Amino acid sequence: MKLFWFETYKTFSRWRTYISFGFIALIVIMTEVVMKLSASEILDRMMKSFQKDFLIYGNVLNGWFITAFIMNSLHIHIPFFITLVAGDIVSSEATAGTVRLLLIRPPSRSKVITAKYLTTLFYTTGLVIFLALICIAFGLLFFGGGDLIMNYSTKLRIVFIPEAEVPMRMLLAFTAAVWSMTVVASIAFLFSTLAENSIGPIIGTMAVVIVFLVLGNFPFDFFRMLSPYLFTTYMVFWQQFLDDPIPWQEIARSAMILGLHNIGLFSIAFIVFNRKDIKS
Amino acid sequence: MKKLLLLAGILFLLSTEWIPAQEDASRYLDPIEKKYSGLRDYTADVNVHFDIEALKAPDMQARLYFKAPDKMKVESKRIFFLPKEGGYFNPSLFKKKDFEMKLLERLAYDGRKAVRLKLTPMDTDTYHKGFVLTIDTDRSLIREIKISPSEGREVKAMIEYGMFANFELPTHIHLQLDMPSDEPGGMKEFTQFGQKPKKITGKVGITYSNYQVNVGLSDEIFKDTDPLKPK
Repeated sequence: MKLFWFETYKTFSRWRTYISFGFIALIVIMTEVVMKLSASEILDRMMKSFQKDFLIYGNVLNGWFITAFIMNSLHIHIPFFITLVAGDIVSSEATAGTVRLLLIRPPSRSKVITAKYLTTLFYTTGLVIFLALICIAFGLLFFGGGDLIMNYSTKLRIVFIPEAEVPMRMLLAFTAAVWSMTVVASIAFLFSTLAENSIGPIIGTMAVVIVFLVLGNFPFDFFRMLSPYLFTTYMVFWQQFLDDPIPWQEIARSAMILGLHNIGLFSIAFIVFNRKDIKS
Repeated sequence: MKKLLLLAGILFLLSTEWIPAQEDASRYLDPIEKKYSGLRDYTADVNVHFDIEALKAPDMQARLYFKAPDKMKVESKRIFFLPKEGGYFNPSLFKKKDFEMKLLERLAYDGRKAVRLKLTPMDTDTYHKGFVLTIDTDRSLIREIKISPSEGREVKAMIEYGMFANFELPTHIHLQLDMPSDEPGGMKEFTQFGQKPKKITGKVGITYSNYQVNVGLSDEIFKDTDPLKPK
């Protein structure tokens, strides 16, 4: 535990750790200001297929909707911010030349790597919680509250969630988002144990995420067949908490698959780090 | 001579078929117009129940304000969807001067005498391609409205009435929707290419209650009636 807090202190003493928080705040505020300025256009585009047949009243473009909208960008920019720390946490010791110093101290390698992994997960959780808080706080401030309308335009489907249910659904969705992002963190962490500099793990992780996302979305049978084997397919399972009815079985399956990825990736990192030759 | 008789016979048969078509169908709307001529305004509580696969929503409630001839406003603290076609009752919607009318058939509807009329808008630029009304001629009530808002779209409204302040007003409108959707706004996703546009099909039940009739609604109430206005 002491090691974990030590690693956490080390991580949060670096200014680069706060780049992610700063950029997330900037992205969220910019998005919300732009959405506020072009609210009518967004509403028209969003409800186009239904506006021809229904008169729609009420505050559709509210803080909850904006939060869900911004969450959709999770799988692109949040992984990048996660890799900034997760891809650096082990490799930076090699870059700075402190790895030998660290490993000749009494704590075992196993304890060191576990503490570093827990710190990575702590940072990942903190980043997603920060995104949630800033999205919801500014969203409700700029756009007010209301029922949440999720427009699944590709499926031509609208799901309506009453306002009273929205906070709990959001809590579950963000918890799922944290769970999804831990897989990205685990990949970057594994790469970080393999590399001796931070650039490789950051680029490597982003390459894996982007390639998997692209492959999983190609509308060809071969890639559709492949998609159940790509972790990125399950990363958007947070959206299912905003569906009606909530598909609990699918959620449990996705969470389990992502959890198994975490266990597998950490186990490999654990073995690699324990066998790491620091003498040469 | 035989040929002439045969021709005359055919002409006679055809002429009897023409009778309902040539009858002044608009006369069936006169009693309705007269019946509701005293209806200046009404307000009512509305409950909308959706049974549409593409729209997963709980029942929605609102207060509806109507003032003759065509002012309408909905007041709701929450998000509210009301079908544009057949969603609320406007007795002056079918003005004789706006439509070409044709009697399609006489029938029995709920054990009462009824007629079915086809109304085609005079103005060809309008969004509506036409209506088919089923009118209970015994009670002078529109019981069914089949609306074809545009190509491929169809809405059927079945109306039940109750008596409120000497006016028969809808207590329940049962809508059947069959509407192809427009393309979703914005750019198409890669996986959407080649897909046929999907349809919005299903049923909507609209229940009206707590009517207040001819209370003298002011025009001020209808000033801000823009639906989906961002805050």
